[in-house]
Amino acid sequence: MSWIPFKIGQPKKQIVPKTVERDFEREYGKLQQLEDQTKKLQKDLKKSTDADLAMSKSAVKISSDLLSNPLCEQDQEFLNLVTALDTAMKRMDAFNQEKVNQIQKTVIEPLKKFGSVFPSLNMAVKRREQALQDYKRLQSKVEKYEEKEKTGPVLAKLHQVREELRPVKDDFEAKNRQLLEEMPRFYNSRLDYFQPSFESLIRAQVVYYTEMHKIFRDLTQQLDQPGHTDEQREQENETKLSELRALSIVADD
Amino acid sequence: MASYLESEPPSPGESSGDESQGVEATRICEKMKLNQRLAAKELVNTEAKYVHNLQLCASDIRSHLHELPQGDLDVIFSNIDDIIKVNSRFLKDLEKAGSEEEQISLLGNLFLEFQEEMENTYKVYCACYNQALALVETYRKVPKLQKVIHDVITALVPQACASGLSFLLVMPVQRVTRYPLLLQKILENTPPDDEAYEALQRATRAMQEVNSNINEYKRQKEIATKYNKLEHLTVRERLARINTHSISKKTLRLSQLFKQEAGIVTRTFLRIKPYECDLEMEGGAVQQYCCFTRDLHLLVFLEFKQRLERLVYHPLHHLSKALLGPQNLIKKRLDKLLDFERTEEKLAEMGSMTYEEEAIRHTYQALNSLLVSELPQFNQVAIQWLGQILNTLMALQRDLAQQVLQRAERELGQLPHSHVSDFDFRKLIEDTLDKTSAQLQSFCQNFQKVLPVPVRQPLQPAAERQVQALMSKYSPSKLYQVTSNISGSGNLALTLQKGQIVAVLQDRDIKGNTSRWLVDTGGYRGYVPAGKLEPYQVVPHDKPSMQSGSGDGFKFLPVETPRSSTHVAMPVFQVVAAYPFVARSNYEVSLQAGQSVTVLERQDKKGNPEWSLVEVNGQRGYVPSNFLVCVPSPTPWGWSLPTGDSSLSHM
Repeated sequence: MSWIPFKIGQPKKQIVPKTVERDFEREYGKLQQLEDQTKKLQKDLKKSTDADLAMSKSAVKISSDLLSNPLCEQDQEFLNLVTALDTAMKRMDAFNQEKVNQIQKTVIEPLKKFGSVFPSLNMAVKRREQALQDYKRLQSKVEKYEEKEKTGPVLAKLHQVREELRPVKDDFEAKNRQLLEEMPRFYNSRLDYFQPSFESLIRAQVVYYTEMHKIFRDLTQQLDQPGHTDEQREQENETKLSELRALSIVADD
Repeated sequence: MASYLESEPPSPGESSGDESQGVEATRICEKMKLNQRLAAKELVNTEAKYVHNLQLCASDIRSHLHELPQGDLDVIFSNIDDIIKVNSRFLKDLEKAGSEEEQISLLGNLFLEFQEEMENTYKVYCACYNQALALVETYRKVPKLQKVIHDVITALVPQACASGLSFLLVMPVQRVTRYPLLLQKILENTPPDDEAYEALQRATRAMQEVNSNINEYKRQKEIATKYNKLEHLTVRERLARINTHSISKKTLRLSQLFKQEAGIVTRTFLRIKPYECDLEMEGGAVQQYCCFTRDLHLLVFLEFKQRLERLVYHPLHHLSKALLGPQNLIKKRLDKLLDFERTEEKLAEMGSMTYEEEAIRHTYQALNSLLVSELPQFNQVAIQWLGQILNTLMALQRDLAQQVLQRAERELGQLPHSHVSDFDFRKLIEDTLDKTSAQLQSFCQNFQKVLPVPVRQPLQPAAERQVQALMSKYSPSKLYQVTSNISGSGNLALTLQKGQIVAVLQDRDIKGNTSRWLVDTGGYRGYVPAGKLEPYQVVPHDKPSMQSGSGDGFKFLPVETPRSSTHVAMPVFQVVAAYPFVARSNYEVSLQAGQSVTVLERQDKKGNPEWSLVEVNGQRGYVPSNFLVCVPSPTPWGWSLPTGDSSLSHM
């Protein structure tokens, strides 16, 4: 291709075979996606657990506020109701904390650890890239000298450059090979790695909601008339509201 | 008919007067009887007419006014139907009486019987009457509707068309005020010893009572509406945040908290969609988790939120709004109390009051009695309602828990460890996680491990000599290699080629700048940028190595080279094979480039330092010392210490 005056239009001679590049890209691409998803999942789980905690805290606040209200002193029945509610909420808060801790330990931590491998991976890929660049550079230098006339100094230079090239090429190929081996292994390890986490996630929910169900079922059986449908409750609300509105001291809106 | 004159035996001296008196008495008696009957008749007749007109108004006129919205019609006609019902019954009972005598005695009792009912229906009508009038006024201003109303009325009640709807609407108000007057008239014309007298008297009083009650009711209603409109709050009232109502505080805060809680649920929970990033893992626990959370988000939580809003939040909201009215009135009452007390003082001082002051007193008293009568009821209902709402909340939580639990357990059943108890499961998880984190560590290290730096270029002979010369003057740790061409500029700056070896004399220049170092090239001294220098490891050989193309030949150089004293054992280094070497005899061992070796002896049996006894891959043998390179550890360009994991990759 020496007769073409403009070098820019020349296709780069493929030093590294296309298939190898493609394989590498594919594997690395998968891992990049995995990295993004891991990060997103971690963030979402963190937000979710924070929201969990916040909700539980506000529930406890509601019941504490009710308890501290002077109305409780006036009406014994009301006091009982509110005390029971308060106890329930506090217990739920404790369980919630436990649930969050468990999730923290068995899901979020592993996720973090998994994510911490990625920086090293990315560094290794960068190094491979650098090695590739060096390799390409030296390779083109060798070719340049090969194309020149074979004079003495040229030959010596050619020889020297070839010497330089060899270790660089070996280095690149070593890196390439290593990564091509390790990346799929790492990628596939995620299956076994995360199974326990998800299992634990579901189990933690089961434990929590079992408790919640028990507590509130007991509570409602004790205090409420269970078995009211939604319509019945709405009806009751309507009745009370209209009772209030019937009084003239209540403004009509 | 009894005469009202006392039937005393006339005293002897007044016999003639008696006779005239007797005639007179009878005549008056007759007149009274007539009046009484007339009055009674008037009452009955007017009653009949009244009921008839009412019915006309209610059914016919109203049905023709379908151009007006239903809500307005309700306000205008309010409870006219109830009035019609009550009065028709009243009329029927009135007409039941056979003779006129019976009628009069019936009258009194009937009124007493109907007193309560009348009071209840009329008071509602009267209270709404002003509003109705106001509405009719507004319609008067709309010419089109006014015409419609006018036409309808003209058709049905021709004599009323001049005054319009208001004429018809005032009828019940007029009627109820007339009752006492009519009764009074009958009473006046009834002798006290008449059997019906007492009933009539009571009836009259009753109807007067009805009227005053209606007035009172009306006033209370007006006060309530007047002061309930928040626009009437003065600045002072707004500032005075006297909150005397404990329920109000509670519910306001409750509704706020619920709003937040529901908000949190919406905002965060539903926005997080962890089931979307499934890490591309098919099968296994992830599947279950995905189904589970998807279900949760799309169904369960939404339902919970809706129910919470409908059954808890909205009622609380209504309750807290309903609380505002009474609160306002209570505040107003306090103000009025002050005014009232002032008038009390004035009354004590002066003994009389102006009309305005009377009005003030009445206002206060009306407000006070209204509150006193209604507040307890209000409180009770409010507390009950609050209790109901809290109960609902608990039920909702229970249902939520149940639904989530149902789904979670279903998914759990499909997981491998579902039968394991919680405690065991936790142990299991911990162990698994420990193992996997160790595995991750190894992965990490694999990626971190950097393969050995490309082997040092063998030096040109001239450079070798230079190195030797430098090494003779300086310690090997001071030797650096130039990594890229340096072109010096400025004072004492050197121009060096890449690959040249120099010895560092000082790691800063005169001004203290640590990025320029003073180096010795063996011939010249000068400053070079420190970034372009790299520590140089002296390869433990003393002869220039091969220059030929292939690198796996070796040269037997039997000539011993005087060892310089600087060629000492290197500090803690790892020895690595720089070039591949093929063993050609039993005494030798093959090397691969980059392989780590353990040096056992740095010379062969004959003391020849060009051969080293090494151990590699479990084999021992001799290799050319030239082929070995020392690299320090641990640095970025060395091997990381081999982990127990077998994933150390080999080249």
